[in-house]
Amino acid sequence: MNHFRLWALFASLACTMNGTALAAGDKDAILQRGAHVATEVCNACHSLKYLKYSDFLKLGFTKQQVDVMRGDRNMGDPLIAQMAPGDALTAFGIVPPDLSLMAKAREGGVGYIDSMITGFYTAANGNTDNHVFPGIKMPDILGISQADPASRKALLVKAKDVSTFLGWAADPMAEARENLGYAVMAYVFVLTVLLYLLKRKIWGRLEWSTPGLH
Amino acid sequence: MKKMIAWIDARFPLTHFIKHELTDYPTPRNLSYWWGFGFLAGFVLVIQLVTGIFLAMHYKADSNLAFDSVQHIMRDVNYGWLIRYLHSTGASAFFAVIYIHMARTLYYGSYRRPRELLWWTGQGLLLLMMATAFMGYLLPWGQMSYWGATVITNLFSATPIIGDQIVIWLRGGFAVDDPTLTRFFSMHYLFPFLISAAAVIHLIALHTVRSSNPSGLNFADKDNIPFHPYFTIKDLFGLGVFMLVYFGIVFFDPELVIDVTNNIPANPMQTPADIVPEWYFLPFYAILRAVPDLIGGVVAMALSVLIFAALPYLDRSRISGGAIYRPVYRTMFYVFIVDIFVLGYVGAHPPESDLKVVGEVATAIYFSTFLLLPFLSRWEEGYLLKIGLPVEVMEMTQKEIEEAR
Amino acid sequence: MTKKNTETTDPARRDFLGTFTMAVAGGGVAAACVPFVSSMNPSSDVLERATVEIDLSGIPMGQEKTFPWQGKPVFVVHRTSAEIAEMGASPGGKEPVPDSQRVQKPEWLVVIGVCTHLGCVPNKTAQGWLCPCHGSVYDNSGRIISGPAPQNLHLPPYHFVSNDKILIGKSS
Ligand code: HEM
Ligand code: FES
Repeated sequence: MNHFRLWALFASLACTMNGTALAAGDKDAILQRGAHVATEVCNACHSLKYLKYSDFLKLGFTKQQVDVMRGDRNMGDPLIAQMAPGDALTAFGIVPPDLSLMAKAREGGVGYIDSMITGFYTAANGNTDNHVFPGIKMPDILGISQADPASRKALLVKAKDVSTFLGWAADPMAEARENLGYAVMAYVFVLTVLLYLLKRKIWGRLEWSTPGLH
Repeated sequence: MKKMIAWIDARFPLTHFIKHELTDYPTPRNLSYWWGFGFLAGFVLVIQLVTGIFLAMHYKADSNLAFDSVQHIMRDVNYGWLIRYLHSTGASAFFAVIYIHMARTLYYGSYRRPRELLWWTGQGLLLLMMATAFMGYLLPWGQMSYWGATVITNLFSATPIIGDQIVIWLRGGFAVDDPTLTRFFSMHYLFPFLISAAAVIHLIALHTVRSSNPSGLNFADKDNIPFHPYFTIKDLFGLGVFMLVYFGIVFFDPELVIDVTNNIPANPMQTPADIVPEWYFLPFYAILRAVPDLIGGVVAMALSVLIFAALPYLDRSRISGGAIYRPVYRTMFYVFIVDIFVLGYVGAHPPESDLKVVGEVATAIYFSTFLLLPFLSRWEEGYLLKIGLPVEVMEMTQKEIEEAR
Repeated sequence: MTKKNTETTDPARRDFLGTFTMAVAGGGVAAACVPFVSSMNPSSDVLERATVEIDLSGIPMGQEKTFPWQGKPVFVVHRTSAEIAEMGASPGGKEPVPDSQRVQKPEWLVVIGVCTHLGCVPNKTAQGWLCPCHGSVYDNSGRIISGPAPQNLHLPPYHFVSNDKILIGKSS
């Protein structure tokens, strides 16, 4: 359980009020770039089975763009891995896990994914390993362990994009949820104030005649 | 309208019922907000029933489909995410409310004569709730669901001789599997209705013996006020405050009460690194682990819940008013509450050497609180009488008072 | 129980506050029903499956094939020129409509295979369809000829995507 999230929420609320949060357009741009990385890179080996191709329409992609992404698969099809699970088992010794819920299935969520895919390095013995997940069977797919400082910067952005996208994939209803949440909280607050006033009014009819009671 | 009510009243005691249980029901006027948690529990029960019934319309109790069907609810069903989060958060809210309700009872000694039966029906409600929540937790068929159910059903293997048979019988197989899931779903659907019935019995018992109150004194009628409108509005205001917290979690941090590991589908071939029960079971779980023996641990855990039933007899003081007039009892109460939090902390962490000792000590304190109560409460009574207390706060005859002194 | 003298309270104001609060609370309860009612409507994945593409090349002349669309059977008939001529000449039965208004291309009849009486699935006969439940008879244009059914077999929205492919569920 991540007990810091509620506080992170209050912090992000404060940010929103200060106008420092991402503008909606920026967010869509990041998610769209992340979606490209996810479908072109990750989806080769990993499934994202709780996403359907039609879900991309919600990120502001046009139908034509989604048609390119889905190839000969249907709009309503789930994003299964391009590599067959059996082949993956022979190649890696393990079937790569589904990614569509990954951001909710690991402590740290989006941040974990980001630091995992950028955590590859070349160890002293020349092998590639990972700081976050030592002994990981996944290859350094972004090539971060080989990158020179200049290209490294671009790769970090790429990693951020795709992990942000996976955060959305794990919880596509988050925005709808929070929007409804503001309305509900405002309503309950008003109702509670009214109930409080009414309570004072009704209890005001009583006389506190008995000494010693409070 | 008047005619209709008269028509009904001639056939069913509607007006009488409303009068007797609501508009004329005498309630001590000094009940604090701590007395509002029973009402809140009823509200959460309704939420669980309604959201549960709607979840069941989309949920599939099949080990191959259950996990995906929850994702279907979260993504495809209109407002499915809301209904599921109301339900998963509601389970935690239920326990939070009930634990506070129980703490109120302990602090004010509301379990004492003549409220023993009321207390025991409450105890039954707690057991039903625990069973319901435990079975419900298997339904999403995540890793934590699966391994939690495995561990808890295995507890029954501690039963002498037929232990293994019981475990197999409970699971309908040699491991937690599809038959376990379908029967848990069936029972998870049934139990809340048993809870509703038990809650009615609880209320009937309450209305027979009436509410206790913070002063611990039995009130003359002039100090009682009708439940409606005074306490309906007070409870409703409390409900508003409760909803602010509850909806705050539902809408802004619903995964707070869902372990990340449970977003991984159940895998019978691999146990996750640290399996932890839901927060509301943690203190009991810590007690289970504190005893380094399977049977002993299970007995200790069962006892830690059941021992509450003995409280009306363990507390032998005849001074009214729970912790208000009773410094020794009050101290014990606070030690006990702190102890439960310590146990909860221990239960949430892997049993490393230091924490193990803490857990053992906390378990010892837990049980000694109950075991010492008969002696300390009597001693306290004599002490209080010696220093002199107003006679109203004693449920004793003059003769008994003389003896106690 | 002691109450203050009633003069000290203002019943009008209390009533307003009380009524208003109850109205706000009632509105909340009503609004809370919306998600629950809405959850019983088709979910997004069901709506996703609202259209289906059908390849006509697999249906030989003179044959009928049944396809599921939104959980209901859709009959697709590849009509012979004799059938086309016969249907063109017939005005229909109880609910007369010219055949030309029931097809987009005369050789392809596409109808929903649900009897307009009480919802059974009619069986194909040489003359059209016969409903097994209460004996309604439809011709090869799906028009009701005799029996208890009140209407012709309904037409689904569909359009030709190409010469031998139709998309059922959308009319364009
Ligand atoms: C005393 C009241 C209840 C309690 C304490 C309770 C508790 C729980 C818990 C802890 C879960 C797992 C939540 C999760 O992580 O997703 C759950 C799931 C579920 N419950 Fe209940 N429940 C109650 C009443 C009901 C009722 C009355 C029904 C049906 C009529 C119901 C149907 C379900 C279903 C279908 C699920 C699985 C869906 C899901 O996991 O989101 N529950 N319940
Ligand atoms: S349903 Fe077809 S004739 Fe009655």
